[in-house]
Amino acid sequence: MQKNWSALLVREAVIDAIRLFFKSNGFHEVETPLLVECADPEPSIEPFSTSLIQASDSYRGYLTTSPEFSMKKLLAQGSGHIFQICKSFRNAEPVSSRHNPEFTILEWYRVDANYNDIMDDCEKLLKFIFDYLEGKKLLADFRFDLSSPWEKISVAEAFQKYAGIEELLLHDEEKFKSMASKKGYAVESETSFQELFDQILVNEIESNLGKTRPTILYDYLAPQAALAKKKSSDPRYAERFEFYINGVELGNAFSELTDSKEQLARFQDQNRARLLQGRPEMKIDDDLIKALSKINQEMGGIAVGVDRLVMLFSGKEDIGETLAFSARDVFSLDQ
Amino acid sequence: MATIKAGSIRKGMYILFKNAPYLVTKTDFLSPGKGSALMRVKLKSVLSSGTTDFSFKSNETVEEVDVSSMQMQYLYLDGDELVFMNPDTFEQQSVPIDLVGEQHKLLIEEQQIYVLMYEDKPIGVRLPEKMRLKVALAEDADGGNTVGQARKTVELETGLKILAPLFVKTGDTLIIDVATMSYLSRG
Repeated sequence: MQKNWSALLVREAVIDAIRLFFKSNGFHEVETPLLVECADPEPSIEPFSTSLIQASDSYRGYLTTSPEFSMKKLLAQGSGHIFQICKSFRNAEPVSSRHNPEFTILEWYRVDANYNDIMDDCEKLLKFIFDYLEGKKLLADFRFDLSSPWEKISVAEAFQKYAGIEELLLHDEEKFKSMASKKGYAVESETSFQELFDQILVNEIESNLGKTRPTILYDYLAPQAALAKKKSSDPRYAERFEFYINGVELGNAFSELTDSKEQLARFQDQNRARLLQGRPEMKIDDDLIKALSKINQEMGGIAVGVDRLVMLFSGKEDIGETLAFSARDVFSLDQ
Repeated sequence: MATIKAGSIRKGMYILFKNAPYLVTKTDFLSPGKGSALMRVKLKSVLSSGTTDFSFKSNETVEEVDVSSMQMQYLYLDGDELVFMNPDTFEQQSVPIDLVGEQHKLLIEEQQIYVLMYEDKPIGVRLPEKMRLKVALAEDADGGNTVGQARKTVELETGLKILAPLFVKTGDTLIIDVATMSYLSRG
C-alpha cells in the first residue's frame, strides 16, 4: 500500500468535510481558471509561467498562485458567498516541510462581512472537520483543543509579549532596525523592515502561537496587506489575520479591499518593488480592477492551506507525507 | 573560512553562529505569510552539547567554518574525556565525552576513528553508521514459551549492555547501529 495511505484517507475526509460545511452554510462552490493571463504582482511570490499557443499566436500565461482574483470577479457579478478548493502553484520556493510548489488551497468569501465573520467561520469549520474525522475514526492522538473562542492576539501585542518590542518601533523603520541589530539579527544595507519583521516573528513569536489551541494573530501593519482594507479606527493597521496551530500558519484572511483605485495603486507599488528587485513588472489585471469598482458591499475572505490542515489532523510533520506524490518524489529532489 | 548565503546552508555543514561553531543537523525553508524567504536551521554546538534553532534570512551571509577530520587511534577514557593518538606523530588529543554523546560507549581501544578538528582543537568524532563489537558476556537464556521478539541483555567488549536476540552467545561479533546503539545482526 502507498506509504502515505493513512494521511491520504485523512485528506479525502478533510475535503469532504470542507464541502459539507460550506454547502450547508449557504455557500456556492465555484471553479475558476488555474491558467490566467495576469498573475498576482506580489513581489514575494514567483508564479509558474507558461504560454498559450493559438495557431501562430502565443500568449504569456501563468498558473495561479491563488484563485483570489477570479473569485472576486464572481463576487462582483453578485455570486453571494462562495468557496473553492483547488490547486495553486508557487515557483522558486525551496521544497520544505511546509512548502510544496503545487498545493491545495481553500478560499472562501463572504459578502456583507468582514474579517471578524471569517474568524467565526474558521472556528466553526475546524470544529466541524474535527467532528467529521472523529465520526470516521480517523483521528489518532489529536492533542489540540479546537473549542471556541480561540485565542486572539494582535500583531502589536504579540511583538510586545513574546519579543519585548514596543508598538512604536513597529512604525519606525530606523529604530526597528537598530533594535533588531542589538538583538543580534544581521542588518545589512539592503535588509528590509519586512524581512526583519518576518525573521523576528519566526524566531521569537510563532512557536508561542497555537500551542494547545488555535491562535488568531490579527491586525497586521498596513503595508503588509496589499489586498486588505485598512482599519478605520487606526489606518496604520490592516484588517488581516492569520491563524496558527502548533506554530504553523494555516490561513491568511482579510477584510477585502474593494476600493478599485486604491487596489490599482497598490498593484503599481508592487510592480515598482518588482523592478527594484530586478524582476519584470506584471500586467495588471484590469478586469479585477473593473470588477472591484462594481462592489459596493463589505467582503471578508481567506485562503487556507488544505495540505497543512491534513498535516494537523493526520499528525504529520512534513507536508510531503500528506501528498500522494510530493515534488520531491516527482522531480527526484534531494531530501 | 568561506562566506555563503544562508539559503545555501545544507545539513552536515559547520557554520559560525553568534561567534561559535555549530553543526547544521536540519534545514527547512519558511516563507511566513506573504513575506520573506527564511531558512530555519537546527544547530548543534561543537564546543558544548547544546542545540538551538534559528531562522536566517535566506539572503543574509553566514560564515561556513572549516572543520577538518584526522584519523586517530582511540586510546582510553580518562574521566570525562576520550584520549586519542595521532599514529604518525604520537601526539595525543582529548575529546570531551559531551561532544561525542552516549556513542562513546561503542569505542574499542586502539580503534581507528576520525577526530574532527576546529582551529586545532578536537570538537568531536565521526563514527561509522555501523560498528562491529564482540560480546563479552551473554548468559544462556531459555526462550520458554515466548514468541516473536524475545530479547536478553548482553554485555559488549566495551562494557556497554544492549538487548540482543536469545541466540547470541559470548564471543559472537554483533553489528550495532551506531545512531540508536542497538543490535542489527550477528556479524
